[in-house]
Amino acid sequence: MNLNYTFNWGMLLVDPARSWILNGIAMTIGLSLLAWVFALAIGVTIGSMRMTRSRWLRFLGGAYVELFRNVPLLVQLFIWFFVFPLLLPRDWMMAWNGLDHVPLLTALIGLSLYMAARVAEQIRSGIAAIPKGQFAAARSTGLGEFQVYRHVIAPYAFRVMIPAIASEFMTTFKNSALALTIGVAEITYAARSIESWSFRGIEAFTVASATYMTTTAFVVLFMGWLERRLRIPGLIARR
Amino acid sequence: MSDPLVSIRNLGLRYGTFRALEDVSADFSRGTCIVICGPSGSGKSSLLRCINRLEEFQDGDVVFDGASLRACRDLPRLRSEIGMVFQHFELYPHLSVLDNVTLAPRIAKGKPRQEAEETARRLLDRVGIGDQAGKFPGELSGGQQQRAAIARALALEPKLMLFDEPTSALDPEMIAEVLRVMRDLARNGMTMLVVTHEMAFAREVADEIVFMDKGRIVERAETARFFSAPTAPRAREFLDRILHRL
Ligand SMILES: Nc1ncnc2c1ncn2[C@@H]1O[C@H](COP(=O)(O)OP(=O)(O)OP(=O)(O)O)[C@@H](O)[C@H]1O
Ligand SMILES: [Mg+2]
Repeated sequence: MNLNYTFNWGMLLVDPARSWILNGIAMTIGLSLLAWVFALAIGVTIGSMRMTRSRWLRFLGGAYVELFRNVPLLVQLFIWFFVFPLLLPRDWMMAWNGLDHVPLLTALIGLSLYMAARVAEQIRSGIAAIPKGQFAAARSTGLGEFQVYRHVIAPYAFRVMIPAIASEFMTTFKNSALALTIGVAEITYAARSIESWSFRGIEAFTVASATYMTTTAFVVLFMGWLERRLRIPGLIARR
Repeated sequence: MSDPLVSIRNLGLRYGTFRALEDVSADFSRGTCIVICGPSGSGKSSLLRCINRLEEFQDGDVVFDGASLRACRDLPRLRSEIGMVFQHFELYPHLSVLDNVTLAPRIAKGKPRQEAEETARRLLDRVGIGDQAGKFPGELSGGQQQRAAIARALALEPKLMLFDEPTSALDPEMIAEVLRVMRDLARNGMTMLVVTHEMAFAREVADEIVFMDKGRIVERAETARFFSAPTAPRAREFLDRILHRL
């Protein structure tokens, strides 16, 4: 193959490319981690709502999941960025627009709420995978409904869910790239800036890809470690 | 001994429109061991599950130790007085055998850990698996798991024990060890309702046999009389099949 292109990796190490990359990596990791924390918290709450006896809470939880999971994240980001501020009362809108880092905050909200729906769904299917007899056994010993979940179902389901939750975590990272569409200077945005400034797209996007692959590798390692640590002795993986 | 521990009164249970139990009435006295048998789908499990209200029945009532289940506002307390043993053991796989036994006493009844563990070890010794306390359920044989499950139920000092086909999931060589534990329990005066197809156990241990078919109790008799001359044709048929299967 005759590639008519001379690589210049060195240019990545000098400013402005260097600081774009470093800031981009920091932004990608920061945004993803924060979004993940919120997604877990909201996702667990929504997931729990769907387990309660209250028909209303179940309906609300189900509606949330369907809504946020089925509208593409890109569309949601645009709605949060362009439409949501218009729906606010006038002085709230002024205050919102006056904040620093509005694109970042918007991306954080959009990504968190979107991922929360996916986390909630994973929780639902994780709990559905627990044999019904476990509920019956725990209830039959006089545990209250919350205690049943707290001491029997959740610890069991959590172990079952680790691979799925890990994969959602990596999805959060990859989805954070969409934040560039509303002007958040994360790593893909940085790669694009470098490309248009130096016409060195291959180098720039290699760095961006490497960032995602490295974080993914760390997540895989960490989850493998967690899975081994929490492995239930004598229980062969059921699936 | 006139007041029964369990009094089932015109009990009716539906799953959707399907009638799983219809107009079931029966009294069970303290200290007796009753074996419940009948064909698959006749409502045996459903009946047991109504007695600790794992199923919400629609008609009639169950009176346990003088208190109506229908009016019961504190299900956990009711259930902690009734031990239940399941076909598939249902031990908690992520907890050690000891923790399986102590969980409910500690969490539901607020017993201090040390006291709960002493009781648990005594019970595990009693069912013959004192040396397995530190293992996880998945590391035990089926027979050992079921005995651990019996210990878990006994840890609440129940007034009544419900067994739902406790040996049906076990290999033949492990059935005996579980039945031995159950026999000892009965001999020591525990009130027991046992759904089982182990007719040798029934003949030896049960005071009475209840035979169910299509959601109803169709025959109830003292053990000896049931085996010598069951009156209901369905019971006779069933007995023939089950005794000649082996
Ligand atoms: N959760 C449920 N929803 C709908 N139908 C049910 C449910 N549980 C049981 N049934 C039906 O109710 C009837 C009685 O079931 P039950 O489990 O009490 O029978 P059983 O006598 O214990 O049978 P087996 O010997 O097979 O355990 C069956 O026809 C069964 O299909
Ligand atoms: Mg059954």
